[in-house]
Amino acid sequence: MQFFRKLSTLWRKNELDADMAEELRLHLEQRTRENIAAGMNPDEAQYAAQRQFGNLAAIQEQAREVRGWVWLEQSGKNLYFAARSLAKSPAFTVTALATLALCLGANLAIFAVVDAVLLRPLPFPEARELVTMFNTYPKAGVLNDGSSLTNYYERRGNVAAFSSLSIYREGTVIVGATGATDRQTAMQVSPEFFSTLGVKLARGRAFTEEETTYQAGGVVIVSDGYWRQRLHADPEVLGQEVRVDGLPQKVVGVLPSGFRFLSSEAQLYFPLRSGPQQRAASERHSGGGAIKMIARLGPGISIAEAQSQIDAHNAAMSVGDPEAKAMAEAGFRTPVLSLQAAQVASVRPLLLLVQSGAFFLLLIGLVNLVNLLLVRASTRAKECAVRQALGASRRHVVGEVLAETTLLAVVGGLGGLALGAGGTGFVAAVCGDQLPLGVHLSFDWRLALVAFGGAVALGAITAVPIAWFNLRAHLANALQSESRGSTAGRAAQRLRHGFVVGQIALAFVLLAGAGLLGTSLRQVMAISPGFSSGQILSGQISLPYKTYGSDRARLAFTERLIGEVGHEPGVVAAGVSTNVPFSGNGGKSSVTVVGYIRPPDESLRANYTFGVDGDYFAALGLPLVEGRFLSAADSRRTERVCVIDEAFARYYWKQGGAIGHRLYQGSQAGNESEAFTIVGVVGVAKQEDLADREALGTVYLPFGYRSDESIYVVVRSNVPSQSLGHVLQSTVRKIDPELPVNDLRSMETRIADSLVARRSPALLAVIFGGFALLLTVIGTYGVLSHAVAQRRHEIGVRMALGAQPGQIGRQFLRLGLRLLAAGMLLGLLGAWLAGNAMQSLLFGVPALHWPTLVSVCVVLIVISLGACLIPARRATKVDPMVALRSE
Amino acid sequence: MLILRVLNRGEMHGWGIADRIEYLSKKVFTVGEGSLYPALYRLQGQGWIESEWGISDNNRKAKFYRLTKAGKKQLEIETETWDRLALAIGDIIRST
Repeated sequence: MQFFRKLSTLWRKNELDADMAEELRLHLEQRTRENIAAGMNPDEAQYAAQRQFGNLAAIQEQAREVRGWVWLEQSGKNLYFAARSLAKSPAFTVTALATLALCLGANLAIFAVVDAVLLRPLPFPEARELVTMFNTYPKAGVLNDGSSLTNYYERRGNVAAFSSLSIYREGTVIVGATGATDRQTAMQVSPEFFSTLGVKLARGRAFTEEETTYQAGGVVIVSDGYWRQRLHADPEVLGQEVRVDGLPQKVVGVLPSGFRFLSSEAQLYFPLRSGPQQRAASERHSGGGAIKMIARLGPGISIAEAQSQIDAHNAAMSVGDPEAKAMAEAGFRTPVLSLQAAQVASVRPLLLLVQSGAFFLLLIGLVNLVNLLLVRASTRAKECAVRQALGASRRHVVGEVLAETTLLAVVGGLGGLALGAGGTGFVAAVCGDQLPLGVHLSFDWRLALVAFGGAVALGAITAVPIAWFNLRAHLANALQSESRGSTAGRAAQRLRHGFVVGQIALAFVLLAGAGLLGTSLRQVMAISPGFSSGQILSGQISLPYKTYGSDRARLAFTERLIGEVGHEPGVVAAGVSTNVPFSGNGGKSSVTVVGYIRPPDESLRANYTFGVDGDYFAALGLPLVEGRFLSAADSRRTERVCVIDEAFARYYWKQGGAIGHRLYQGSQAGNESEAFTIVGVVGVAKQEDLADREALGTVYLPFGYRSDESIYVVVRSNVPSQSLGHVLQSTVRKIDPELPVNDLRSMETRIADSLVARRSPALLAVIFGGFALLLTVIGTYGVLSHAVAQRRHEIGVRMALGAQPGQIGRQFLRLGLRLLAAGMLLGLLGAWLAGNAMQSLLFGVPALHWPTLVSVCVVLIVISLGACLIPARRATKVDPMVALRSE
Repeated sequence: MLILRVLNRGEMHGWGIADRIEYLSKKVFTVGEGSLYPALYRLQGQGWIESEWGISDNNRKAKFYRLTKAGKKQLEIETETWDRLALAIGDIIRST
């Protein structure tokens, strides 16, 4: 009741004011009448009554305060006046708002990404229980070999820590009737895959155990999107057939809408089929990296517990395993990681780096804002001092300052929100598909709330130094002309200078970071990939099992393909390989070299093994070091030959003479007739990333002896590679109308794409650095020009006393340079720290990279000098007569 | 508290209250009369008195104040507190 009454006084303000005025007037009238009755004359009577009453205005003020809500009225007035005074100085207002909006917007956009990727949990129930594990053999050079089928069948149900275990393999399939086929991403999964994730199918059922054998009929589970688009959302879809890779598959289930497994684009899910030999103990370490394992922890089980259980399980399985010793020497382990952490691990340092950069920018912008506000406050110091002398309370002064800064912060914040929303959209459009977890960037209300709250808090925080300044304005001195000697002036000046130094330091760090990233990028780009990468077109073809089930069938296809493509105009050389550099796939295997005895403390070593056909080496441009290339005929020869690269040769035969030696595929020697003889040594090609340091070695076998369902066509031309794309596609379709060519990219594009993870942060850092520079220039210029304006009187006196204009100008220049020097020193320290923190993202660049640091210094000096010169020049132009007379 | 006491005897207007206090305290309290009004408004805001416009004895318009039930109770509480306080202080002063 109390509260409502109080609330009602809010809108009855005028009525209550009139009421009170009336009441007090009547009181005074009564007293006046009494005084007249007592014998005074009317004027005296009134005067006496008023004296007895007290200060009418003060009483009314007090009464109003008692009523409450005064602070609301006051704030309203403050805001109104703040708006007016801001509108009167448009240059300042626009600069401040733009700075705020830009810095806030950038931070918001990047935070949206950070939030979506790092902070939000996976979209599965109890997602923190989801883990992944993989086999790693670090000493052999294989860091992530996925899991094997054997692993799955042995661990399923036998490791108590996991309530559910599942494996999956990604791939592509060709869907549709002859002539109208297209490629779809698909996944092969074990039966409990969806239940492990906690996902219930919208229709139908999951796969059964018997559907994981080769004998069972073809079944498929489709995504909601596929069901709607390709199957016309038919409610009777269960039991319908879809033609995949030439074979009919029965639809047994439909997934719920919105389901997406991490960043996979798969629309079709098949059972992961295998035969008993593939599940045997001997295949335990033959995962090859394609099959991946996920699991759900049992309730209350920690990852550490699961890890120890898996370790124990592995130890138990290795008893009696002939490969166990070699694997142990290779450092075999199965680390268990949270699924989310594993997915974002590669992007995490990058994202954090970019977020820090944006944050730095925000800091610089804020410092700039405070500086500008301080300058503004000092120009109005006299007015403020007068008002305080006339009785403005502390609360009043603070309230005014708060109103102005909050207004600026809120409006700037709204601008920042708009920019942030736009920026998020921009980021989503440009690199949305490169983000892990397939996250959808959206600018949600949660973010907006955080941003708005932040803006308001900002307003409050920036009010503090300004309010401090205004309150401390020493009244007496401020009322006279602005003198350098006043304590408030000194303290404020030191504050402003401190801020400029801080700005310069922060800008230095940002620019140095950009320089380091840029240098790192340049260094990586300068690395030769090992082959001549111009004018090469490459594409991937998946050969379905139905028509290309045997090595011979595949060989026939590749030979025909190479023959046809080789005859096209503009083609210099054409070849086929099971993998090309920078393809994004990187399976490694091991070979056994005849006659090579491994030293006891050395582990098994993995290397790349490819099957090649046609003029692959010539097409790729790999240099020949010794012996000869493989040719098309080698695939058909009974005599088995192979070619190795220099890294492989150097590792096994340090003194040379690799040619003539023999090796076996796999980690053990086999039948004599299965050995391959080395006939040539070629140069080393970078397989996965230009920055690859370790060259594991590559073995090239004839395609006839090592074929795969996935092949890459490589074509070197003397015309631009893009123009050959159509030709390649149509040639392939001529041979087999059901085969599309996928991932058609020139080799240069592949290499450039592999650099994206280095290029984006470098680009962003440069943008941030540029902004930081701009803000620093504004800040330095503002502070120096204010210093000049403040000391006009003093300059006038000195000039009148005989100082040369040049001396005056130089003095201000020196001030600017002093600030610059202090800032750069701090910045150097900061850059060193940042360089250390960024090491994982840099390539070949130490934390203290002198060329970068020196160039940043030069840039800062040049720009700051420019910013200092103008005010300094203005100082020299001061007319002593005018300065002395004015205040 | 004094205002509440005065109003206990019945409703009164602003200057009447001022007169009464001056009279009852035998001229000990002569504060500026205007300071009465903020106090009146505060008491009103706390719900211990209520007001309404009326006509005074000499046919003038005036705002009359009177105690509410809650106000009466408040007066009792404050009077009791004051008595206890006065007793305690009295004891201390006279004890030595």
